[in-house]
Amino acid sequence: MRLTRRALLGALAIGTGALAVACSSGAATPTAAPASQPTTAPAPTTAPAATSAPAATTAPAPTTAAAAPTTAPAATAAPAASGPVTLNFYSGGDTNVHDLWANDLFPAYKKVKPDVTFNLVFAEHGNGDQTTLDRVAAAQKAGKPSGVDIWETGLLQQGGEANLIQKVTPQEISNLSNVDPNVLAQMGGYGVPYRGSSVVLAYNSKDVTNPPKSLDDLLTWIKQNPGKFTYNPPDTGGSGDGFVSHVLLKGIKPGDKQLFQTGYDASKEGEWDVGFGILKDLGPSIYNKGFYPKGNVGVLQTLGKGSISVAPVWSDMGLSYLAQNLLPPEVKLMQLDPPFSGGASYVGVVADSQNKPADYEFLNWLLTPDPQAIIVQQMNGFPGVEWKYMSDTVQQKFASIAKTYDTFAFSSKFSSDKNKQWYEKVAGTPQPSN
Amino acid sequence: MVREGRRYAPAQQLRPFAFSEGAKEAALGLVLTLPPMIMLVLLVVVPAVEALLFSLGLVPKDNVVFSTGLHLVSSPTPTLKVYRDLFASHFFVDDLVLTFSVTFATVALTVVISYVLALYVRFSSGTLPEIMRSLYLIPMFVPVVIASYALITFYVDHGLLQSLLVQVGLGYGSPIYAQSGVILGEVWTQIPFAVLMIGSGLDGLPQELVEAAQDVGAGFFSIIWRIVFPLNLVPVLIVATFSFIGVMGSFTVPYLIGPNAPQMLGVAMNAYFGTYQQPQPAVAIAVLTFVFASVAGAIYVWATSRSGRVA
Repeated sequence: MRLTRRALLGALAIGTGALAVACSSGAATPTAAPASQPTTAPAPTTAPAATSAPAATTAPAPTTAAAAPTTAPAATAAPAASGPVTLNFYSGGDTNVHDLWANDLFPAYKKVKPDVTFNLVFAEHGNGDQTTLDRVAAAQKAGKPSGVDIWETGLLQQGGEANLIQKVTPQEISNLSNVDPNVLAQMGGYGVPYRGSSVVLAYNSKDVTNPPKSLDDLLTWIKQNPGKFTYNPPDTGGSGDGFVSHVLLKGIKPGDKQLFQTGYDASKEGEWDVGFGILKDLGPSIYNKGFYPKGNVGVLQTLGKGSISVAPVWSDMGLSYLAQNLLPPEVKLMQLDPPFSGGASYVGVVADSQNKPADYEFLNWLLTPDPQAIIVQQMNGFPGVEWKYMSDTVQQKFASIAKTYDTFAFSSKFSSDKNKQWYEKVAGTPQPSN
Repeated sequence: MVREGRRYAPAQQLRPFAFSEGAKEAALGLVLTLPPMIMLVLLVVVPAVEALLFSLGLVPKDNVVFSTGLHLVSSPTPTLKVYRDLFASHFFVDDLVLTFSVTFATVALTVVISYVLALYVRFSSGTLPEIMRSLYLIPMFVPVVIASYALITFYVDHGLLQSLLVQVGLGYGSPIYAQSGVILGEVWTQIPFAVLMIGSGLDGLPQELVEAAQDVGAGFFSIIWRIVFPLNLVPVLIVATFSFIGVMGSFTVPYLIGPNAPQMLGVAMNAYFGTYQQPQPAVAIAVLTFVFASVAGAIYVWATSRSGRVA
């Protein structure tokens, strides 16, 4: 009797052990699911989302109803600015993005256009983006206005390809002609790039008097100064990814560059061998004989501690860290020539917006020097317009990085393979100390 | 052992006149356990079976996460290609080697350290053992993430320990971001449970036996080796198997403290699933982890049932 109970208990314990293991593998599912989502989600996913979303249209109804009274007269009363308008502005991101809109840009616009009021709907870290897209899609299906006027999101191109987002051109928004066409094209022309950030090179001027000016210079410098450089694994942050991608680009045939950005063909991955060879060769010269700190922040902290002297960092993060004294003041940022990759944040106009003239007017204002200066100041970011349209003081302040950035980035599937091969071929090589 | 005898005694008295009620009770018990069983089947068993089939090349069409993975092995009949590919890759074999060396080292260190701690607390009295009694519990109340960051801050190069050592002119090689750092973190998190488990075993040890041995002149080590250790073997095996399973599947400590590569299986699973977009090898690694854990589980069952027979 006692024995069987014991055995039962034991079996139960195995069960719990198994459960623990199963849970640990199961737990990977939710974290991984969003990661795999963007890749699988060009146009096709939005279509089923739209069909499955009629329930969503009823849920946000109160807000659309609230917006309806203000939007209705504006729509009938012809162009913008003739009466008070409320624009429903959807956005997501960190709290600094929220504060930028709510505390700086909206009040500044109020001074220019007292009639325009904003209703800011903010979801932290873009958690609401998919819901908003579903909502706009459902509204379009139902033939009713979605109540979303302007939307800041990374999903603009995806939405635009489903005819949910208005394409923007210099015809409606004249200041768009001051924007780098490549940056505009990166979102398929569906959004106004109002601020940007680029991977730049950070160096400690106390240790490095003559910083490398190009990628080749940098690679030579790393080998000559072992232990003084590192970058984060490409999957853990854009700054390390920018460095890895540009080294890999060395082996990529010019004719295949477009494919690597937009398509997928595993047989072309042999072109990475040159780049991975270079990176592997750098291994022993990397900080701590080959340690790559996790994330953009990990690299900045290593730089802040003085363990390394040079590293690729995001311009806005680097400048913020400098402003908060998390990096010693001797650390300087500079852009290489040719530059590392960067990216912009985009605001778009929803196709069914009832206040398009007011939307365009606001977005046009957003690209004028005053709000752009606010953005550069508050976010430590790149302006949405090209640097030459900024004031002299701003240009001087950011002289070392005030250049346009490259827009090269691997497509999502290529990026996944690149990350795996980086771990396999670069980090995975036997290193003496690890 | 004495306590257990007492626990079973009343049940034996009740049995003769409660047979039919017992059957009813059993039925009720079965009904009461049904909801968790159904949950277990739906949330764990069914996905586990689906995952096993997926790792054998049978790709479910209706599971988007599985069917959109990169480099899928798809076959109408079960195949072991996914596993063969994994074991053929140096990259994964290194992960496996790291996982096992960390796990065995952690289990051995945990058992030794915990045993010493438990013996110390059991066989000595005073303020210091009392303080130890609360000290070894601390890791239980510190979240692993925070503990890992604390360990990193303390041990990392240019960290607190190094700056202290520099003051006295000593050199330093940091264990952080290396295998030794992972073992350090794992042992730290395993100690409270291990000491509690071994300690409760020692508390149940009849004091008379120890005193009798002392009376006939047995020394400290001879008492430990010939009386305490054999009578306290089961808690030690429980600690060993539980920490084996726990460490092998652990994620937070190796993720934060471990090297970029190789990675422990938990971290590798996550990387295959998310970063590499290859759910199939991720699932195969999960199946392998399950198999290894079951071996530990079998040892546990064998140990506990054996102790039942002895008692």
